[in-house]
Order: sequence, then structure tokens, then C-alpha cells
Amino acid sequence: MASAILRESTIMKIHYGTALAAVALVAVHVLMRLTSGGFAASLEYETVLANYRFLPYALMLEIILVLLSIHGFNGLRVILLELRQGPRYEKAVSYGCVAAMFALIAYGSRTIIMTNMGMV
Amino acid sequence: MASVDQEGGDAAGGGSSSNNSSSGARAAADGNRAGIGGMIHPGKYGIERVAYWLMRLTGLGLLAYFIGHIYETSSILQGKMGWDDFLAITQTTEGHILLAIVIGMCVFHTVNGIRVMLGHGGVGVGRAARPDYPYVPASQNYRHKIGIYTAIVLAAIAMMYGLAVMFGV
Repeated sequence: MASAILRESTIMKIHYGTALAAVALVAVHVLMRLTSGGFAASLEYETVLANYRFLPYALMLEIILVLLSIHGFNGLRVILLELRQGPRYEKAVSYGCVAAMFALIAYGSRTIIMTNMGMV
Repeated sequence: MASVDQEGGDAAGGGSSSNNSSSGARAAADGNRAGIGGMIHPGKYGIERVAYWLMRLTGLGLLAYFIGHIYETSSILQGKMGWDDFLAITQTTEGHILLAIVIGMCVFHTVNGIRVMLGHGGVGVGRAARPDYPYVPASQNYRHKIGIYTAIVLAAIAMMYGLAVMFGV
């Protein structure tokens, strides 16, 4: 169980901390779409590729990926634990959410790293 | 739903804590026959219960979008053809409407989340007092109700703005 490693109060502080940080960074991410010559132009292949190859922006995308994955899968864990309780169920939900979180971070990081390093 | 009575105590999170013990006794007496429909009934539990459900539904919706977005952006690894093919799927009227819903969910989840955080920190929940009839909880006051309505209105405005940007109005 996640609570065996971290106290629930600590997990909630992480949940709120990741939320606040993500709000600020996602705002920057969205503003980039609106200020890069318009919404449609910002989604063109060359523009997106240039964004990924700009290291500070790629680092920001990686941080957003980690923050939202932690926040999102912990939120899912909380919802699932509200629906049903039990030692085995809680353990399965907690480990399942942690595994899904790492899988999503790994998949998203692959895109960011490969594009940033010019492997496209 | 095993946690109907437990949710009653989460005033800041949007649950109803009015006469917690009496509602629990009532729920036990009727065998929770109302089910999920009874639980989400806004007329019975107020706007706080609507906010509680919207917070969870928007959270799940945003998580689903986030996973889809990670998958969608990975198409850049397939080169310009792959990216343009995937973009063509999302740059449709249906895609724009879906994105507008995502914007609305995002704004509601953010604003209501800040309200919940403030509530958990003791901001705007009123002072502790002896529970007297009619057992109106101090935490379910006009400040938090205004916060919930503000979240809904801001979400609607953001959706309108998003649609205007995407459709180039």
C-alpha cells in the first residue's frame, strides 16, 4: 500500500503541490499555443518540432508530464479507494496506479527525449 | 457505493455534512435504496454534492485526455506524415468541441480544486461551534457556494473563448 510508505497526509500535500505547479506550467504550455502565430499555426509539424528541440521547453514538458502523471493517477487512486475498501483491493489499486504512472511517464519521456535529440 | 456517509463529512471537498448522523441513520433505515441517484441528487444535498461529483468526473475526464494527448503527440516520432495524419483527426468540428469540453473541465477542476485546498486549510469554513438545530454546518457557507458557482461560470467562459479561438471567430 502506498500509505505504508507515505502517510496519506503527505500524499495529499504532494497531490496539492503537483496541482499548483502544474497549473502554472500548463498555463505557459497553453499560452505557447496561442502566441506561436495562432492556434492552427502552432500545431504545424515544423513549429512543434522546433518546440521539442528547444531544451528549456522540452524540460518544461517533461516536468508537466511528471507532475500531471503523479496528480492524475493519485486522483484516480483516491476515487477508487472511495468506492471500495479492503486490504487487498487497496494494495492492488495503489500499486496499479503507481505502475500506470511510471508507464505513462516512460512513454511520454520517450517522445520528448527522442524528438529533442533529433532522432526524428 | 460504500462511502455515502463518509462523504458527508467532507464539507470542503464538496460533500454534505448536514446532520451527518441523522442522514446516516436514514440511509441505514431505507437500506440505501436510492443508490447513486439518491447520492448525487442536488436537491437533497445541495451544490456541494454537485461540486463533489463534478470534481471527480472532470478529474477522470482530464486523466483520459492526458493519456490520449501523450499518445497523440507521440505521433511526431513518425515524421511529418504521421503528425499531419493524426492532426487531421483532431482538427475537426468534433475534435474542437471535445477540446472545448476539456478546457471547461480543466478550468472547473482548477478553480474548484483551489477552493477545496483553501477549505482543507481552514480558509472560509467558518468557526467551530456547537451543533444546534437545524444543524446547518458552518463550512457550507456562502463563501464556498460562491466559489463553486464561480468555477462553473469561469469554465463556461473558458469554453466559449476556446471555441472562438479554434473556430477562428
